[in-house]
Amino acid sequence: MLMDTLDFIGAKLLDFLAYTGFANAELGNWIMILVGAFFLFLAIKKDFEPLLLIPIGLGIILGNIPFKAVGLEVGLYEDNSVLNIFYQGVKLGWYPPLIFLGIGAMTDFSALIANPKLLLVGAAAQFGIFGAYMIALAMGFEPNQAAGIAIIGGADGPTAIFLSSKLSPNLMGAIAVCAYSYMALVPLIQPPLMRLLTTKQERLIRMKPARQVSQTEKIIFPIVGLLLTTFVVPSGLPLLGMLFFGNLLKESTKTTRLAKTAGNALNDIIVMLLGLTVGCSTQASEFLTKDTVLIFFLGALAFIIATASGVLFVKFFNLFLPKGKKINPLIGNAGVSAVPMAARISQNLGLEYDSKNYLLMHAMGPNVAGVIGSAVAAGVLLGFLS
Amino acid sequence: MMKNRFLGILLCCMALLPAFGQGAFSFKINEVVTSNAAGLVDEYGDRSGWIEIANTSWGTNNIRSCYLTTNRAALNPELSAPERIRLMSLIPKGDSRTNLTAKQNIVFFADGHTNRGTLHTNFCLNVGEENFIALFDGNGVTLLDSVTVPPLAENQSFARVYNGATESYEWIVMEPDNVTPGSPNAGQGKVQDKIAEFKEKDPYGVAMSVMAMAIVFSCLILLYVFFRLFGYIVSLMAAMTRVRAIRAIRNKAHQASVMAKQGLETKGIDMEVYMAVIAMALKEYEENVHDVESNVLTLQPDEHTEWNAKDNAMREWPKLY
Repeated sequence: MLMDTLDFIGAKLLDFLAYTGFANAELGNWIMILVGAFFLFLAIKKDFEPLLLIPIGLGIILGNIPFKAVGLEVGLYEDNSVLNIFYQGVKLGWYPPLIFLGIGAMTDFSALIANPKLLLVGAAAQFGIFGAYMIALAMGFEPNQAAGIAIIGGADGPTAIFLSSKLSPNLMGAIAVCAYSYMALVPLIQPPLMRLLTTKQERLIRMKPARQVSQTEKIIFPIVGLLLTTFVVPSGLPLLGMLFFGNLLKESTKTTRLAKTAGNALNDIIVMLLGLTVGCSTQASEFLTKDTVLIFFLGALAFIIATASGVLFVKFFNLFLPKGKKINPLIGNAGVSAVPMAARISQNLGLEYDSKNYLLMHAMGPNVAGVIGSAVAAGVLLGFLS
Repeated sequence: MMKNRFLGILLCCMALLPAFGQGAFSFKINEVVTSNAAGLVDEYGDRSGWIEIANTSWGTNNIRSCYLTTNRAALNPELSAPERIRLMSLIPKGDSRTNLTAKQNIVFFADGHTNRGTLHTNFCLNVGEENFIALFDGNGVTLLDSVTVPPLAENQSFARVYNGATESYEWIVMEPDNVTPGSPNAGQGKVQDKIAEFKEKDPYGVAMSVMAMAIVFSCLILLYVFFRLFGYIVSLMAAMTRVRAIRAIRNKAHQASVMAKQGLETKGIDMEVYMAVIAMALKEYEENVHDVESNVLTLQPDEHTEWNAKDNAMREWPKLY
């Protein structure tokens, strides 16, 4: 009797061991767990965009805990699991518009309204997307996959997730992680390029302080912005609609409570869920492929082209501007829409060469124009290819 | 009261509009085979003529309770709804297959055996003859779609296809090799067509880049032009307001000086009285003193307060027992 019981316990323990992560782990899982740990290290120790990298890093670890798939409904890709339910926001693309709602509720478009020519810098920087699109096609990707990868050049995580979920869902995990990783690495990628493409004299250009913007202008901006952009590119409606809606909540001054919720609580909730599930989606079997390596390579190129396009466009633009109205090309990098990291880089670099040259408010113009520009670009790609 | 009622009716009508527009009207007869000798087989291993219906919308719609018929008499407006329904074949409720997701198709076997399941009609199609087929909404009166199928050879189908040149749908006879029961007909898989077209015509992405950058630029240039003009108008209005204010002050100052002069010269008012009046006015101005209260609460809180929120006044009803 005792022996039977011991045999039973032994058999059950062996069964249990077969279900543990240790028994089911493969090399890929360990590699991805190390990648997740590296993201956490960057976020916590090096302070690289912790709001993005902590959820993504832990998500990578969470998504790579190996288990035996016996219908327990625990994995991200198993129907009805909790993680799968959270993942629907990424898969069906409704987290990104909610993030845009928050961005709109937090963004002050005054710098752009005061100096609307900075909109063009935001448009020029979108060439990063299409430069990367051409390279991706040359490397053998299908047009829809190339578009999903190229949108990384917009430096906008939600836009990248939105577009790739529609055009190339099988590459979405890699595209999302790549987009967010490079956004966190903007302080490393952009400054050397900006130094390379500008002369010392150009970096010292001081721009006139922007004029005061009236509340009426601030209220009109989201309404007119919505009408003008979505009438041209209706496929950008989910992103642009929510962006301008959030901004109107803020600027109308009558819905402060809603704007605060959209910009703080709601945005934080979505950022947590989005980061975690995007991280989870990088399961080794799906993620450790040749395509992922190519996506990271193309993503880096897209960022570099976008930054260079913004800076070079400002230099070109300066050829036509009178002496007192020239633009400091150090704000050209901010045309990529990594808000507000890219603008902060312009500020820091400007101060490095002239301790009294404050470029932050000027750089916020192209920076928020970049948000609009990348959403429009995503809408254009979606319109052409879906 | 009347106003509220009107508003309620208006809202109800508005709510019904999209439901009507995007619901049953999304169903279209998509492909028909009248003589099925070597094609699709039903659950019983039999072949019969079939009718494919497509959900043309991007939303899920259920075709249950709609009616199919081949009887033109069902179009007769003089017949009542029950009389018309007697001429039709009901698509029954309770089968999940009738719930069509976006762009999904469903095939009904026209074999006259409704006892074989949801996907079988109570009529047959006439082989080698012209067939009229109509799809009616659940009320048996609203015609959703109809088509007159010409005489078809064996295994041929009559299909609704997209013509890219005219950008419209047209009906054509499909040869047996191109018959696609349950799937989009040739020319309807536009998504794949678009990608394939870009791959073929624009292998290096140059055309896409030029077009897309032009669109992005034109969008942002539109915004630029608008806000440049708007900013100019706002600045102009601000400048005009300033000018008006300065003019008003000048006028007042002029009037005051004229009155003072008149007072001193013609009315014999003492200079000291003027001095006292001016001093008092200045004092009131500096101390922000005013003697007329408007009875309007002018206190504006910096942030949102809940002091008059209606939900704060709501309390749970007291228990009576």
